[in-house]
Amino acid sequence: MSIEWIEPVLASTTSIGVVYLLGSLGEIYAERSGVLNLGLEGIMAIGAAISFIITIAWGHALAFLVASVFGMLMGFLLAFFTVSLRLNQIAVGLAITMLGSGLSGFIAFPTTRKTILQFLNPELPSTALEIQSAPMLPSVPLPFLKEIPIVGPMFFNHNIAVYIALMLAPMMWFLLFRTSIGLKIRSVGENPGMADALGINVFRIRYFTCMLSGVFSALAGAYLMLGFQPFWIEGMTGGRGFITLSLIILSTWSPLRAIFGSLLFGGIEVLQYRLQLFGLGATSPQFVLMLPYAIAVITLSLLSLESFRKRISAPAALAKPYYREE
Amino acid sequence: MFKYASDMDNGRKISRREFLGVTKTATIGGIIAAGIAGGAAGYLARMPEIKEVTKTVTITPPPAKLMPTKVGYVYVGPVGDYGWSYGHDRGRKWADERFKNIESSYIESVPEPEVTPAIESLVAKGCELIITTSFGFMDATAEAAEKYPDKYFVHISGYRSGAAGNASQNMSAAFAEFYQLYYLCGLAAGAVTQTGVIGYVGAYPIPEVVRHINAYVLGAQYAYKKRTGKNIKAHVTWLFSWVAPEQARLAASALIDEKNCDVLNYTEDTPAVLMVAEEYQKKNMKVWSFSHYSDMREYGPTAHLTGPVANWGPIYLDFYRMVATKTWQSVDIWARVGDYMPWRWKQLVEKSTAGKEEGTVYLAPINPVIPDDYVSLIKKRYEEMKEYLFEPFTVEGHDPDGKEPIRDQDGNVRIGFGERADRNALWSMDWLVEYIEEPLPK
Repeated sequence: MSIEWIEPVLASTTSIGVVYLLGSLGEIYAERSGVLNLGLEGIMAIGAAISFIITIAWGHALAFLVASVFGMLMGFLLAFFTVSLRLNQIAVGLAITMLGSGLSGFIAFPTTRKTILQFLNPELPSTALEIQSAPMLPSVPLPFLKEIPIVGPMFFNHNIAVYIALMLAPMMWFLLFRTSIGLKIRSVGENPGMADALGINVFRIRYFTCMLSGVFSALAGAYLMLGFQPFWIEGMTGGRGFITLSLIILSTWSPLRAIFGSLLFGGIEVLQYRLQLFGLGATSPQFVLMLPYAIAVITLSLLSLESFRKRISAPAALAKPYYREE
Repeated sequence: MFKYASDMDNGRKISRREFLGVTKTATIGGIIAAGIAGGAAGYLARMPEIKEVTKTVTITPPPAKLMPTKVGYVYVGPVGDYGWSYGHDRGRKWADERFKNIESSYIESVPEPEVTPAIESLVAKGCELIITTSFGFMDATAEAAEKYPDKYFVHISGYRSGAAGNASQNMSAAFAEFYQLYYLCGLAAGAVTQTGVIGYVGAYPIPEVVRHINAYVLGAQYAYKKRTGKNIKAHVTWLFSWVAPEQARLAASALIDEKNCDVLNYTEDTPAVLMVAEEYQKKNMKVWSFSHYSDMREYGPTAHLTGPVANWGPIYLDFYRMVATKTWQSVDIWARVGDYMPWRWKQLVEKSTAGKEEGTVYLAPINPVIPDDYVSLIKKRYEEMKEYLFEPFTVEGHDPDGKEPIRDQDGNVRIGFGERADRNALWSMDWLVEYIEEPLPK
């Protein structure tokens, strides 16, 4: 077998991996500050639905913008319930996932969608009101760079959202590990009481990271819709939010390592179908189709072990609400 | 004159006292008139001298009120899914629009274990006819049919019905079957492929999908062999899902990138594969695909060749009529090309209706990019299918020279000379034709 087969695999890997990367960047911040945003899946769904509608009405740029505003609102909701009301983060997160899935299905449902589109842009032709897919982000191959074997097709032959996401990862890493604001976020997630005593506003930091996580979750959904697979169906996020949550553990809450984690999960997803054609797992494709979920389940169960959490230095206050007077 | 309402339940009966009160004014023949009651008009007409003095009272009864037939549907997916459940909902609307006196409702996104409560709630709403539209709903529907013998049940895509003898008489089975149309898609694929390699993105390795894949590959083999004298090659990947556009997209690009497939067909409820083909067309690569269940041309105007389309409406309308007119009969309908078409006879190729909307299953519009000879061939076969003059699973359907029997991947002859795949062979097909490279998952 020649090496040619690998380039399209890697190109598709990046293309799908960015969904995970965008989702994980915000989530890492939330978890580093001690809030588990289990609503990632639902916010992603909202982001996908909003970006679908707004792209048809107003174009790509505003679609990402409006999706992130809605993501921010969902993040605010999460912060209100978990930080201010100190409710169980897992219950709230699951509730937000359900809310997001239902709401996204409702706003993108053909009849509702039509009403919204007519309201947003009365000049739309009737075909645009009916069509169930959004125009995709155009691919922008970078000259010269795309000619490099292996790396070229993998990183330099994509749409603009992929480039931005790949650049955001090191920037977000720098912000988290090399600046004072990053230090504040991390200290709130490790020991909120101590951070509070040092004059850091725990609530404000957590509200900020929750909203940031909401924004990135929504962007991940918007990218899934506009950059990867532009046909809308209800439930199109397909559990990717939960896979992102386990990916964060694999990348030990580091935005840089999240790049590799995202590409790993993206690669597994791409290989599912290629392996069937290469004769591996052709008689039982169910096995390869199960891989991403199996890895997700394993990492999530490992996280429940106290010793494992210590070893990979999970944020000590993760999923614990903060009470000031205790 | 009096006109009695045919329906005595409407509370506007005319009492005998009123009747007498009216006739009292008659000076002559009052007793005669009273005696003949409702038949008075005809009698009086023959007695002109009486008619002049009889006070005529006309009471117009309200129009006979027919109670609407209540119909309930149970869908497995959301109606916005564009594929399966969307197709059924479109069929429901089609039938409702034509029948008028119907009150239909549906419950969507019903997981298979929850079908019984869904059916119960439709029964509680007073639905007389309940239609369940997923294979997994079959046993629960049959149980409900046993439990409610005065209601009627239709199950889509299964094999249990009173007609078949494995359910009670108030249950029918129906399906819109595509294997003939997949064969025609195959003819189109064989006519346009440049690489000689075609692909299929399959949902689940079950007989329904397997026979569609085989029919598609047989058609492609026929056209490709006729065109080039060579055998076709085919590749299949499995999604293990009915609705998964992102997965279908990855599978489709795997077939194109890794195996050089340039005509892709699929069993997945969204146009994702067609959209992938369209993206390759935009990159100047000739990759083609098809519609599936509805006309999807708008999602791939260049890459779209034709495709199998279903309209469930005529099937539903048929059941509405049976229930509303109390002429129910348990049936097992496997609608194929020709069924429910107003003119189900073979037409000349020039007059062929291939690519037009008719009946329950039909072809999506045919892309003129397919060479004329093969468009004619597709039309000819389509017309012949209406009368079952041609069947895909035959030696004539497989080999243009009519010499080669249909073999499976192990080289065993599955369909020999003079044979046609019958119901059982189609229903339980668990082998792939020899041109497919991947084995069938077990």
